[in-house]
Amino acid sequence: MAAEIRDKVVNEVGKVVIGREKEIDLLLMCLLARGHVLLEGVPGVSKTLVANAFAKCLGLQFKRVQFTPDILPLDIIGGFVFNLKDREFEFRKGPIFTNILLADEINRAPPKVQSALLESMQELQVTVEGHTEKLPFPFMVIATQNPLEFEGVYPLPEGQLDRFMVKVSFKYPSKEVESDILKRNLSGIDVNDVKTVLTLSELEALVKEVDGVKVSDDVLAYLARVAEATRNEGALVLGASPRAMVQLVHCARAKALLEGRRYVTPDDLKSIANDVLTHRLTIDRAAALKGVSRNPEAILTAILDRVEPPR
Amino acid sequence: MAINVVLYAPLVFTVFRRRRRKVNASNLADAFNGLELALKEAVPDLPAGFTWEEAIGRLRASGVQTKGMEAALRSYEEYRYGGLPLTDIDFREVVKVANMLGGTSTVRSGGASVGR
Repeated sequence: MAAEIRDKVVNEVGKVVIGREKEIDLLLMCLLARGHVLLEGVPGVSKTLVANAFAKCLGLQFKRVQFTPDILPLDIIGGFVFNLKDREFEFRKGPIFTNILLADEINRAPPKVQSALLESMQELQVTVEGHTEKLPFPFMVIATQNPLEFEGVYPLPEGQLDRFMVKVSFKYPSKEVESDILKRNLSGIDVNDVKTVLTLSELEALVKEVDGVKVSDDVLAYLARVAEATRNEGALVLGASPRAMVQLVHCARAKALLEGRRYVTPDDLKSIANDVLTHRLTIDRAAALKGVSRNPEAILTAILDRVEPPR
Repeated sequence: MAINVVLYAPLVFTVFRRRRRKVNASNLADAFNGLELALKEAVPDLPAGFTWEEAIGRLRASGVQTKGMEAALRSYEEYRYGGLPLTDIDFREVVKVANMLGGTSTVRSGGASVGR
């Protein structure tokens, strides 16, 4: 069932977005594993369209917030306003009360706003002046950041990057895909063409099924060896945290389920390790100056090539 | 006599080496254990962290027929990682590839052929 749903989602989102199957797969994995996604890519590579079409095909509520340097935490999470009629303060929900929140250019917002959002992501609730409101199910933040702009941005610190289950890089499409995109755009693209392929109860059942996907002790021991290897790697000052490894397991479980399996294999872990771990790894600048790779993906690949999985 | 020893010793050694490497599996798990050892010897540039999918991908790229192995692999993974009992699925293809790799065969990177 999960594998069929995966195909339906990819096909449905594919009606308006071309050549983003891997990215759609990662979004779905992340949603089923109750994670959040960081999208990185230059403007105009269909980040917003993918997020919007993804929410639509799952029948979920979608809101977009453009982060700017003058945005306040209240603009995201909401706050108390005085109701003149009742002569008392009442809580007015902010745009965070949705199923899928697109936090566009998250690194343009000051740290206070970023941390307010990231706390809600972790706790799945919002607390303002002692008043707590639960966020709806499912809740997923899709945050975007532009890798090219450095002026007037507040880069997410390591502790906050760690809250994102995966980082998805939106690269430029290939020539063939770009040609298809141009052709498709001549007739116009309408997100309303995307049909809903899943009910909320089906989605809820899938999320529960992910928890039932088996991860053997050998596979867990393998993950612990990988984590240790990242922490002992000379080219890194910060390796994978326990939270990162927990998220890797959850994401691998969702991947296995979407492929029609009830168990996680080392292949599942290796195939998504770069998406889940690299944004949390910090390169040692001194080592980089000595000629060691500056690319966390290459370092992680070398580690995974070294650590023997259970076979 | 000394000349005979010098001439025939490497031959005898090679025959014994090949005999020792022959995989005789009684079940699916034995077959994959044998394949793992054969792969490690025959494909020295296969990284220590290789997975079954990666190894089979390498064999496929080298022109080895892996269709029979892939069905057996699914069954083996269910046992190895899923905790299900071993099935009596046909594992002769796995043993065949393991024996083909053992001793004389080499699988090189870049899609080169399998053979002496």
